[in-house]
Amino acid sequence: MTAHGNILCSHCSLPVGRRPMERRLNGEACAFCCYGCCIAFQVKSGRHEEWDAAWLLIQLGVGGFLSMNIMMFSLLLYSDAFTGVDAGVLPWIHLLLWIFATPAVVILGGPYLREMWLNGIQGRVTSSALIVLGVAAAYLYSAFAVFEGSTHVYFDTAVMVLMLFTVGRYLEAVGRARAARDLEPLLAAESESATVVDGASEFRRPVREVSAGMLVRVRPGERIPVDGVVVEGESNTDEAVITGESRQVTKGAGSKVIAGSINVDGPLLIQSSGDGTATRWAQICRSVRDALSRRSPTQRLADRVVGVSVPLVFALAGLTIVYWAQSLPFDRALLIGLSVLVVACPCAVGLAAPMATSLGIGRLARHGCLVRDPGVLETLARVRLLAFDKTGTLTAGKARLVGVDCEEVGIDDVLARAAGLERLSEHGLAQAIVAAAAARGIRPLATRDVRTVPGRGIRGSAEGRSVAAGSSSLMNDLGWPLPPALAEPARSREANGHSVVYVGWGERVHAVLSLDDSPLPEAQATITALRERGLNVTLLTGDLAPAAERIAAMVGIKTVQAGLSPEAKRLALDRLRHDHGSVAMVGDGLNDGPVLAAADVGIAVGSATDLARETAALVLPADGLWMLPWIVDVARAVRRTILTNLMWAFGYNLVALTFAAFGLLQPILAAAVMAGSSILVVVNSLRLERLPDPVPSLIPEKRSSAAAESARHGVGVSMLIGPGIERS
Amino acid sequence: MAYYLVIFAAGFAGSLHCIGMCGGFACALGHDQRGGGATVLRHLLYNTGRLTTYCFLGGLAGALGQVICTTQGLTAAPLLNGSLDIAQRMLAIVAGLLMIAMALQFFGLLQVFHRLAIGFGRSTFAVSLRSLLTARSSAAPLAFGVFNGFLPCPLVYAFAAQAASTAGALPGFLVMASFGLGTFPAMLMMGGVGRILGPAWRLRGVRLAGGFILLLGLITLGRGLLPSGAHIGLAWLGGHPA
Repeated sequence: MTAHGNILCSHCSLPVGRRPMERRLNGEACAFCCYGCCIAFQVKSGRHEEWDAAWLLIQLGVGGFLSMNIMMFSLLLYSDAFTGVDAGVLPWIHLLLWIFATPAVVILGGPYLREMWLNGIQGRVTSSALIVLGVAAAYLYSAFAVFEGSTHVYFDTAVMVLMLFTVGRYLEAVGRARAARDLEPLLAAESESATVVDGASEFRRPVREVSAGMLVRVRPGERIPVDGVVVEGESNTDEAVITGESRQVTKGAGSKVIAGSINVDGPLLIQSSGDGTATRWAQICRSVRDALSRRSPTQRLADRVVGVSVPLVFALAGLTIVYWAQSLPFDRALLIGLSVLVVACPCAVGLAAPMATSLGIGRLARHGCLVRDPGVLETLARVRLLAFDKTGTLTAGKARLVGVDCEEVGIDDVLARAAGLERLSEHGLAQAIVAAAAARGIRPLATRDVRTVPGRGIRGSAEGRSVAAGSSSLMNDLGWPLPPALAEPARSREANGHSVVYVGWGERVHAVLSLDDSPLPEAQATITALRERGLNVTLLTGDLAPAAERIAAMVGIKTVQAGLSPEAKRLALDRLRHDHGSVAMVGDGLNDGPVLAAADVGIAVGSATDLARETAALVLPADGLWMLPWIVDVARAVRRTILTNLMWAFGYNLVALTFAAFGLLQPILAAAVMAGSSILVVVNSLRLERLPDPVPSLIPEKRSSAAAESARHGVGVSMLIGPGIERS
Repeated sequence: MAYYLVIFAAGFAGSLHCIGMCGGFACALGHDQRGGGATVLRHLLYNTGRLTTYCFLGGLAGALGQVICTTQGLTAAPLLNGSLDIAQRMLAIVAGLLMIAMALQFFGLLQVFHRLAIGFGRSTFAVSLRSLLTARSSAAPLAFGVFNGFLPCPLVYAFAAQAASTAGALPGFLVMASFGLGTFPAMLMMGGVGRILGPAWRLRGVRLAGGFILLLGLITLGRGLLPSGAHIGLAWLGGHPA
């Protein structure tokens, strides 16, 4: 609809809206969402001693000089300092005020007039029209009064209203910029430049021009601009932006580095492993930019209210003037109408949602959680039911050995033979068996003539005897009998939803290995924490009921729907939505894309690689399940802030409007009250900065990276040695 | 009249203190290539901007004092005839204490305010003001002076407090105007002639300013505490305009 769809304000990183203020500053094209951001940005960039930024400050300074003079004279007039003096002086003082006020109104009111004009030619009436009209009325009336020799001039009102609005917008913009602080590292990817080393020379290039194989130098304190491998140097890096884990990782020659991480303390020379635009960081940047430039439903509603309220306020101001003009002199009535115009400026309403949302998005982003749609936080705060997918979400998504039943042989014997075969296989179950053997320190038996039997298993020969591992049909094919002592446990394990692998040698089956996916260590604590927040939790899975129920019982989920096809999951979700209102679905983002897209809030945990194809609205980093309760807290805080902001903005406006319409609020005071209301909304939103960080103690044991590795990929030794597993 | 002369003198002595912060700005404003006349104009504009801000603050503070006293008087007048007096006394006590606190830090005591000022001096706003110094527009010094006046300075605080205690827009305006005019000579000298005074003289100036402010603070405090008949300070100063 408009070319400004996803441009963000150069100052506060909020969407610029349909009519941005565009400026060229220091040779760069900048777009601002409002006049305040324009001022604040130029004040911020003023230290570069550039002419562009100074010009605005000069204007404001001269405007301030003039309006302060006007204010001083008016103050002295009001306090009757000139009563003793000859009355003939008064008209001259008024003339002087007019001379001061004319340039002041032009300088300070210019930007508002411009904004009103640009919107006006597109048929929109914005809040700046209220200010312009009010100030123009006061100024023109006073100018006529000066030439008619009347004593009632209100130049001070005109310039002070402009002054207060300008200062208010500036302060508001300063506050808003703090909302963008957390987002800065995420938005930087597109503007970042890299130091490319070409032979002996080094030059700065935009990241998008870096391609695979190029050498890039990264100094300490800089962000690593591309994915790659360290060629030279040693340093610690902080990968929090990408992984959400804020700890330093040591990198040396040969280590892989991720774009977006900070090079903490040593110079690094990196060979880029891909295009600068293909990194996850660049993807995140695009995704965040996209999310920020969209408007949430609340915001759209607020915008509509603002759009409707401006003409209403005009009408109200007109009525007020007409009403008061009957009982008061016209200039008094005009001033009351002016108060109404000024105080009803709905700036605070428009500001209520976007700032709180972008603070929330930034807060989550700092811990690696990506929000792809600004409305999602508000929806998540309303959600009463979370549906979980099982595999890869609550569980590690990888098989691990959970039990060995054997007859007349030792468990080590079985594993040595099985691992000897399986280490040559790529199968998921095979890898789990090899990992389990390795975890127990068992050396795989040297095996020759290994070949896989597709869909059945694998066979070969070791110590001169043939060995096989695989399904019961493989054993049938080989004609190896299953001893009755093993048949019973095998059947019961299968009934429990385990995967079963038979291991045999010497013409008979000697053992049954059972493998299973097990819940993540943090799953139970996470579910408990979610319950404490009043959320219902359910499990929707395509797996068989016994396996699903076992996992559900382990993590503390009471309602389970198993054996669902993706389509059936969607239907189940619809039924749940019917019962519970909004529903969030948590999945791994790979197999359950359509279901995540169908939920009110789709939450993907971890493994998703291509953000562009991601269907979830909220993407958690790998191993990020434990953050879920915290994310719910943040979402609720954001929603609460938006609601209090809206309540405040509307309530304040209504009360102030009533006072103004009854003539109890002077225009200057009204302007101060209005500027104060916007600033209060900003300050209220900034309280979100004080939200606590997620508490990693939700994870039962502090996982070192090695422990995490084994929890995900293989079997802890303890599991195998523990009682009840070995049944010989 | 003597009252404003004292304030003028305090401003003059205090401006030796200003050299530390504002004087740096004034020096940076420097010479205009277009000749001596243009240089003087530059500095006049800068100081006019500064003076305007001071006067505005003074008028505002005075008006605020007036508002406080009048509203107090209005609500309590039927009950207690002397309440206007009480409000004014309270104001005088607060202003006097503030001034004494400011004065003490000129003697190296009570450094809180000083650190506050330094902290703000390094803020984005103050830093970006420097860009105005190099701007080519002839209005830049004026704008710079206007903003400069708003930068926190213990002297300005002290006299703004004094202005508020006068409880009137005009006397408040006059207090700050005298103070601002007092700072004129040294600041003009700073810009045009450069630093002719050694550090020892500057320290003496700072002490002197501290002495003046302490004196004014004590008088103001006395105005709040002593019975109406015993206004020693005012008698000595030739009467207070309020």
